[in-house]
Amino acid sequence: VTSLLSESGCYSVVLKARELVFASFFLTLERFPAWQVGVQRRKCEMSTMFADTLLIVFISVCTALLAEGITWVLVYRTDKYKRLKAEVEKQSKKLEKKKETITESAGRQQKKKIERQEEKLKNNNRDLSMVRMKSMFAIGFCFTALMGMFNSIFDGRVVAKLPFTPLSYIQGLSHRNLLGDDTTDCSFIFLYILCTMSIRQNIQKILGLAPSRAATKQAGGFLGPPPPSGKFS
Amino acid sequence: MSGGRRKEEPPQPQLANGALKVSVWSKVLRSDAAWEDKDEFLDVIYWFRQIIAVVLGVIWGVLPLRGFLGIAGFCLINAGVLYLYFSNYLQIDEEEYGGTWELTKEGFMTSFALFMVCVADNFTASHLDHLLHCHPL
Repeated sequence: VTSLLSESGCYSVVLKARELVFASFFLTLERFPAWQVGVQRRKCEMSTMFADTLLIVFISVCTALLAEGITWVLVYRTDKYKRLKAEVEKQSKKLEKKKETITESAGRQQKKKIERQEEKLKNNNRDLSMVRMKSMFAIGFCFTALMGMFNSIFDGRVVAKLPFTPLSYIQGLSHRNLLGDDTTDCSFIFLYILCTMSIRQNIQKILGLAPSRAATKQAGGFLGPPPPSGKFS
Repeated sequence: MSGGRRKEEPPQPQLANGALKVSVWSKVLRSDAAWEDKDEFLDVIYWFRQIIAVVLGVIWGVLPLRGFLGIAGFCLINAGVLYLYFSNYLQIDEEEYGGTWELTKEGFMTSFALFMVCVADNFTASHLDHLLHCHPL
């Protein structure tokens, strides 16, 4: 799949983008006098690092938009999904209001009614998740290929410096495939995961695609934000 | 039952599930604004947390504030500022929204991740400036 992506030009596009970002930083280094060559070389490394940082944020935004785009094409625009979502939100709000008004001394009949409504909501949530399953597979396949490509581009590269030393069990991720013992060096995968965690949910909220809180609450996370797709997103 | 003064307002239109219209933001700094729609208010809290995360991430990265003190400081400031906002300034009844904990955790993890990204970016960028003042080799 990685070779497929290479052939399609994806690989060369990302490398070209990296070159452009680096070139813009190198232009600022020309004013340094010759005896600061050592500092200049180090500054080149840091410029490269900062350019990588910005590129990874950009990649994260693009992949989040891609994931939402795929989901929109396969799921969000279908009538079945729209109908199910409206039904789930309506039932969730209704159930939430009922639960707020019910007391300990409420009759058995009322409690049974609530149980029936909860069961109905659970079934609708399950159907909604099944509808989403298509996009999950498509996104998973797509992202596994993309991640393979990005990992090979950024393999062994320090893409950012962290102002703290991560906990030991997180260092396996933050210092993945990096040489040296400096644990403040950040690898691609750690930065990408952080970017995705922050950017994806914000993009969903901005586009109005995030599930409603009532639905999420009643489903107990079953109908939460779309589950992570691919290996690392 | 919210404390403080409350003015009755016509319901404000809101975009679906998380995006906010400009009219909502005009209510944000008014301590006497009425919040009929709970989701609307929770969205305001959510976006405020993201803004705080970006601002603190830039400041912490540029200073720089190293170690877990910076992370702890972010958590305290993020939770504290929003708590003061909805508890003291707006005088919202927290029980209407599920309690102080529900309001505190609204958007917290996303803002934390955003803070980490901003800190890493700005710390990396600020290293460039630091090297400008290095002694010649």
